[in-house]
Amino acid sequence: MAKLGYLPKEKLTDFLENLKKKYRIYVPCQDGDAVLFQPFDGEKPLCLDRPATVSPKSVIFPQTDILFSFDYRKSSEDPKQVSIELTENLDFPETVIFGSRPCDAKGFLIYDRPYTQTDMPDIYYKGRREKTTIITLACNYPSPGCFCTSVGGDPADKEGSDILMTDVGTGYFFEAVTAKGEEIVEDAVFEDGSSYQEKAQAAHKAVADLVKKPFDSTEGLPEKLLSLFENDAFWEAEAAKCISCGACTYLCPTCYCFNITDEQAGSKGERIRSWDACMFYHFTLEASGHNPRPLKQQRLKNRVGHKFSYYPKKYEGAIACCGCGRCIRSCPVSVDISEIVAHAQEYKDEPSK
Amino acid sequence: MTQKKLKEVVQKVLPDVDMVIGYRQGFDPVHATPFFVTRPEQIDELIWNPLCVHNLASYIPSLTTNKKVAVIVKGCDSRAINQYLQENLINRENLVVIGIPCSGVVSVSKVLKAVDHQIIESVSCENHAVTVKTSQGEKKLSVSDVSPDKCKTCLYPTPLVYDHLVGDPITSDKEPESVYDEVRSFEEKSLEDRFQFWKTELDRCIRCYACRNACPMCICQDRCIAESRDPHWVTQKTNQTEKFMYHMIHALHLAGRCVECEECTRVCPMEIPVAKIKKKINMEMDQLFDYKAGLNAEDTPPMYTFKVDEETIEEHEL
Amino acid sequence: MSVVAGKELRIVGFLCNWCSYGGADTAGVSRFKQPSDLRIIRVPCSGRVDPLFVVKALLNGADGVLVAGCHPNDCHYSEGNFYARRRLEMLKKFLSYMGIDDKRFHYTWVSASEGARWQQVVTDFTKQIHALGPLHQKEEAGD
Repeated sequence: MAKLGYLPKEKLTDFLENLKKKYRIYVPCQDGDAVLFQPFDGEKPLCLDRPATVSPKSVIFPQTDILFSFDYRKSSEDPKQVSIELTENLDFPETVIFGSRPCDAKGFLIYDRPYTQTDMPDIYYKGRREKTTIITLACNYPSPGCFCTSVGGDPADKEGSDILMTDVGTGYFFEAVTAKGEEIVEDAVFEDGSSYQEKAQAAHKAVADLVKKPFDSTEGLPEKLLSLFENDAFWEAEAAKCISCGACTYLCPTCYCFNITDEQAGSKGERIRSWDACMFYHFTLEASGHNPRPLKQQRLKNRVGHKFSYYPKKYEGAIACCGCGRCIRSCPVSVDISEIVAHAQEYKDEPSK
Repeated sequence: MTQKKLKEVVQKVLPDVDMVIGYRQGFDPVHATPFFVTRPEQIDELIWNPLCVHNLASYIPSLTTNKKVAVIVKGCDSRAINQYLQENLINRENLVVIGIPCSGVVSVSKVLKAVDHQIIESVSCENHAVTVKTSQGEKKLSVSDVSPDKCKTCLYPTPLVYDHLVGDPITSDKEPESVYDEVRSFEEKSLEDRFQFWKTELDRCIRCYACRNACPMCICQDRCIAESRDPHWVTQKTNQTEKFMYHMIHALHLAGRCVECEECTRVCPMEIPVAKIKKKINMEMDQLFDYKAGLNAEDTPPMYTFKVDEETIEEHEL
Repeated sequence: MSVVAGKELRIVGFLCNWCSYGGADTAGVSRFKQPSDLRIIRVPCSGRVDPLFVVKALLNGADGVLVAGCHPNDCHYSEGNFYARRRLEMLKKFLSYMGIDDKRFHYTWVSASEGARWQQVVTDFTKQIHALGPLHQKEEAGD
């Protein structure tokens, strides 16, 4: 039986202050004109009325993650003898992501499959993931460009969250989804939430009807995209306006590719894992100088293909796109991945082209 | 109507080129998007209104090597074309320039702020105003209130280079001195305040390189030194040092080349005023070498040349 | 290279091989005393100095940067220092806009015979950097 709670809006800061005693909390804050997930300090104003500019993925998958530090030490007796001291820190604090959206929470589910559901789970990702609780805010209305309902999502989807919050006007209706969530909703600041459940459910349904549907279904999409693999003209047209930066990939809740580099100065250094973007030229650049994807249309084809074709084929149909629309909103030239998918769905081979 | 005339010009030009690059309606009412016209039936989708912010000249260098391309440019965009010609970066014979005199465009960022980030249901444009409809009602915004900073000091509303001109030339009513007002007022801050300002702004930077890739003059993109491992200018760390270093590289490599199209600020997903950095260098280029980028194809960028006697440079004393 | 704690600051010098390095050599041979904060990097010509060298040095731990070349019109490669003059002047005017004190960067022209002048330049510049103190823009921690 899921635990239900109601939190009046005036008590929100009290709740977060209480929570801060046990957890490190990340909340969406106004920073300049952007909204970013930052540690809660009670001073920066929260911004909950629109999705954050970047997804909260950096809480569990930091942009720069120091895997370990190393120090080359020369022995004073025999300078030819070198030893290496390695230090790593796998101590991850208990963390809460507060105010993410259902699409953001779904993003982590996409990560889970390649990072943890293998016989060699990623200890850095897994360590943080297990210590993180996600409190998701259901959407009041869709954002420009978003299309979660076309990729198996919903503005009030509980999957991937520990608690689902709904704005019911005077306060927030909290619905615990997991045991971790139930623990939090037990806080004394909550009132009984059961009377708000119906209102919340009605609101959820109303918003879901407003979400744009740029394409009908993802059924058969993996195969359809593969059939367009050799169609250079199709991808050249779709990628013509792309400028090949990394904005879409870096803001995306489901993009999970990384680089590992050793950054050394003198005898000390660190091995760092950092975000990589398949839209960059350097993504597939090989040490020989050869690049299998030198053209931006090949890279765009790969990005769309990975999300809607290769990943679903590997993981029983799961689409690696949560429909948040960030890539569309933040793209310098408004490349619209949902439009590309729609074009692919509708594409018919015309012999005269 | 300029939009109608534009379509007629494109109709005329399209048979002689492989593509015409213009604008069409984007994914939502307040966004336009670049549009590559290759077939006559696509011409009707072209638009021309204050939403057409993008600098389409950036596409030219990579395309004119082996394709014939026509591009629709505003005044600021045309400066990029002149700069390309100064630096020998494009094949002029493969380029047809369709110039449109522009009285200002809107910044999507500023429009969204003006309507409190409400969902925009529709936008209608006249030459000097946009009317934005949200669930809260209609709001009429004058273009000059929500335009990017560059429009407020625009000296070149009519393209400086073109093969076809769509519409009547517009003369600027702005004071030439006002172009660098923003730089001068920033310099009134203390050194510490200036550093804090950049520290706060650049802290949001995620090194997505949207600013670099959108810049018409940054043509090294795939070989940028900010990404090379050998020589190793910038590490993969995301601390203050690296963020400052990347932006200094970007700005200093544009010294005497930046055409002030402000695409960098527009495209930054984290809303960092990237163009502000380059404005200062541009002011120095103007004061030291009497040079503004992109005004005509015969100039030489100041960093490419020298004078034996520099009247404006004095030896520094300690 | 460790900094003698509290006594020395890190000053990086880019000296052109022909005139200014020669001038520094002359100062050394003549036994002119100078503070030892300055560590010299020899380049073929001041025109080799990319303004970004100065920026990278300042952002990554240097407290001051000095660039020295041949006098204009005397460049060993004829024109190198003309380009250097333009670039470095631009950089000098730009640094303070980003919040970095432009007194931490100095460029000058020293010929191979000007040993005494070199001693003066180094002493004065080191004094200037000490007056400004260490530069705190050295962040080590990642995100």
